[in-house]
Amino acid sequence: MAGFFGRGRENTADIRKFKFSLIAYYAFIIIGITSFISVSTIIKTDDVLKSKVSELAADLNVQMQMNLDSYLSRVETMAALVFAEKVAYTYDATDANNDEYEALNTENSISDKLYSLCLMENFVDFSIVYSNNHVVGKLSNNTKDLFGSSLYDDLAGIINRERTHDGWLAGYSGNYNRIYYVKRVNSNAVLLTSFYATELESVFEHPGGIADITIRLVEDNDVMIYSSVDGEMGSIMSDDISKRVSGHDSATLMDDDYLITVNPSGDNWRVISSVPTQIILKEKNTVQGYILGIGAIAAIIAIGLSMILSFGVSSSVGKKFTTLNEEAHVDQLTGVLNKRFFEVRVDTLLQNAEENMQYALLLIDIDNFKSVNDTFGHAYGDKVLADVGESMRSTFRSEDSLGRLGGDEFCVFMGIKGSMSEEERNRLIHRKCSELLTALRKREPVGDKEYRGSASVGVALYPRNGTSFAELYKMADSALYATKRKGKDNFTIDGEEN
Amino acid sequence: MKRKALVSLLLAAALLLSGCSRQAVLTSNFEQIDVSLSWWGNDVRHEYTLAAVKEFEKLHPEINVVCHYSDWSGYQKRSDAQMASNTESDVMQINYAWIQQYSPDGDGYYDISKLSDYIDLSNFSEDELDFGMQNGSLNAIPIALNTQTVYINKTIYEQYGLGIPQTWDDLFAAAKVMNGETYPIAMVAKSLWFFVIAYAEQLTGKTFMNLDGSINFTADDVQVMIDFYCRLVNEKVMPQPEYYDSLKVATGEYGGILAWISDASSHCGKAIANGYEIIVVNYPVGDSAEVGDGWYAKPATMYAISRDTDHPKEAAMLLDFLLNSEEMAKLQGVEKGVPVSASARACLEENDMLTGIQYEAFLKMNEYTEDIAVVSPYLENDSMIEGFRNACNAVLYDRSTSEEQAQELYHLFTGL
Repeated sequence: MAGFFGRGRENTADIRKFKFSLIAYYAFIIIGITSFISVSTIIKTDDVLKSKVSELAADLNVQMQMNLDSYLSRVETMAALVFAEKVAYTYDATDANNDEYEALNTENSISDKLYSLCLMENFVDFSIVYSNNHVVGKLSNNTKDLFGSSLYDDLAGIINRERTHDGWLAGYSGNYNRIYYVKRVNSNAVLLTSFYATELESVFEHPGGIADITIRLVEDNDVMIYSSVDGEMGSIMSDDISKRVSGHDSATLMDDDYLITVNPSGDNWRVISSVPTQIILKEKNTVQGYILGIGAIAAIIAIGLSMILSFGVSSSVGKKFTTLNEEAHVDQLTGVLNKRFFEVRVDTLLQNAEENMQYALLLIDIDNFKSVNDTFGHAYGDKVLADVGESMRSTFRSEDSLGRLGGDEFCVFMGIKGSMSEEERNRLIHRKCSELLTALRKREPVGDKEYRGSASVGVALYPRNGTSFAELYKMADSALYATKRKGKDNFTIDGEEN
Repeated sequence: MKRKALVSLLLAAALLLSGCSRQAVLTSNFEQIDVSLSWWGNDVRHEYTLAAVKEFEKLHPEINVVCHYSDWSGYQKRSDAQMASNTESDVMQINYAWIQQYSPDGDGYYDISKLSDYIDLSNFSEDELDFGMQNGSLNAIPIALNTQTVYINKTIYEQYGLGIPQTWDDLFAAAKVMNGETYPIAMVAKSLWFFVIAYAEQLTGKTFMNLDGSINFTADDVQVMIDFYCRLVNEKVMPQPEYYDSLKVATGEYGGILAWISDASSHCGKAIANGYEIIVVNYPVGDSAEVGDGWYAKPATMYAISRDTDHPKEAAMLLDFLLNSEEMAKLQGVEKGVPVSASARACLEENDMLTGIQYEAFLKMNEYTEDIAVVSPYLENDSMIEGFRNACNAVLYDRSTSEEQAQELYHLFTGL
């Protein structure tokens, strides 16, 4: 029966198309809105994150610089405490008039004082060096080796601050393992203090709030006195960082590659912290992924809901439409097509008929139907008609078109393969007509009477008898008349005798 | 079905929205346990120990090791102050003598035997652990065995046409030949202390000090020590310890030195690098003495754990790493002498690291293991050594006589 509803199917397709368009537009709007919200949120989050990380890095670097200043200040204070012992800065080991025994005892006394002062410190050297290179106090073999015979002169050369007569140096002879602090004691002596650069690890220890941050103490020539990256100490800072901090003593900058913050320490040292921007973005990407994920889920849910609602609405509308469609096309009593749509259907099929295609139009008339209504009543007459519709459906194939042309007149439009011979075709028509007549031929008691049913059939052939419904109908009607003349309850094909 | 799907979706949306609600954020802060470690030594020891600590921290990121280090002189004073103020490090390098000094009853340090779950004590024999036993408590574990050993610059001696000195007289004879240009031998104050004791013990036939710290020497015997020291300086066999300069070993200005096995590399390394042939020889002997007389051995430093440590387990883990780990063994080599720990020694053997002047000194010590006495923990008392040096200087600079100084010194020794 579905095949009968060509126009209805088109209408259903239109509804389906409209339904999908509606969903597509809705999805587009939802995706647009969620994308806008997500991107806006990401941009804002990005700005806030960058700003906060920059502030955090700047604060950390300032703290590192303060730690360093505090540590260096402590070293300087230790050195200043030597001056609390008068003999330490008045004694001159270079004085040729010194009594050797007294000098020995004095030096032992000064040495004891020096050891006591640096008792709790991890100093490598803590000694007074005289202009004749004589040393009192703690002097390591490495320092002795490194400075050699120019010990005093080179140490004195480190002093560069006029106010306090002292100075700092790292990288003496390219050796960055230790950091030296030198302070003048008197005109013939300097106080030497040194410690391993690795001591700065505890100075630059931080809680690790920013992942993968590198902290460096750098000279003005970009050589790293200390770096939290193993193996970098004593080497020149990479151009990537160097170029970015060039000309800046105290600044924080962030670009696509690095977040860098720099602060000055002492006369010519800088504390520089850097972290690759990608590391920060990695954290941002997590947030970004979260936002996009939420946006995508929200969009999917919204679209899913719209689809369900749309399907629910369209399904209900579709059902109603199908019902109305059927009511418009189908004869409600017999369940076959009404006259109008049967004729349209047949004409459409004939217009689109392939070459060599054959059709047969069967015109069926219930014998003596008028007397049925008169004898058994209209209700029974309607039942007879409904039974005819049922018999037609059970006799013919689903691709055949069945219709009621009016009253007790029915029609069947059968498609016949073009490859069938005339004999085969006739045999098929004969068989179908016989089956139908057999189905309609029945005796049924109705009250105290008996209903005897039968029908007459006239058959016209396409293309032999015509190429339109009207032409074929006319010929079929003529054949039907022939059947009735012959005594009814029979069929006639194209005027031939059965 | 559709109604169910709709309800499911609405529930999912509700859950999603509920997930967006604000909750209190609670995160655990990363906390490290601070364990302090102290040691003394030279630059080389500082550098490799700091490197080892980094390795340990990599293996145990939950532990932060706080390092305190200095050379020997400062370390002992620092240790005195810390032990007295209960601020000593959790893990300490200590001198053998300090067990007696700080823990006469055995409760001055942590009983390490209680931490055997974390320290592999099977790497040490009972005899070796006995060095650290005090009153039934394992106060310390030896790192290596040590003795004062004589290192002779054979190249220099040959330049002067001299043979390797075997006796005290050989040294005086060498001084005459070298005529003040070169000292036949040199040493720091502590080595000198052992040097003159060995001479005096050989000469008198007495032991200077018993293991319990009681003195066997008389004032006359102490005078022998002072006189011998003055003679060594006056006849230019050696420079005064105050003027000892390790760089002069490298330049050949010292024909030999006396030093701990554990210090041999730092004293002789540069001389060897400069092409001098440095050999390990026996202690000098007198006419009636035999090799080994007056020669003392001891554990070359030990590790102890603070009795009051807040983190005995972590301290023990660090101690085990320092004593037994492959990482530390490779970094340390034989810098402190040949390790007592069987696993550390095996690691050095596997890696062909049992070489060099310190290993040669270790082998020399092993030749006379039965003849070398175990040093009394009291023999290294700083006050004794300081007193002896002051007494010698007073005599050397004619501020007093050796008889007077010997009397004073004897009273100081017996008083201590």
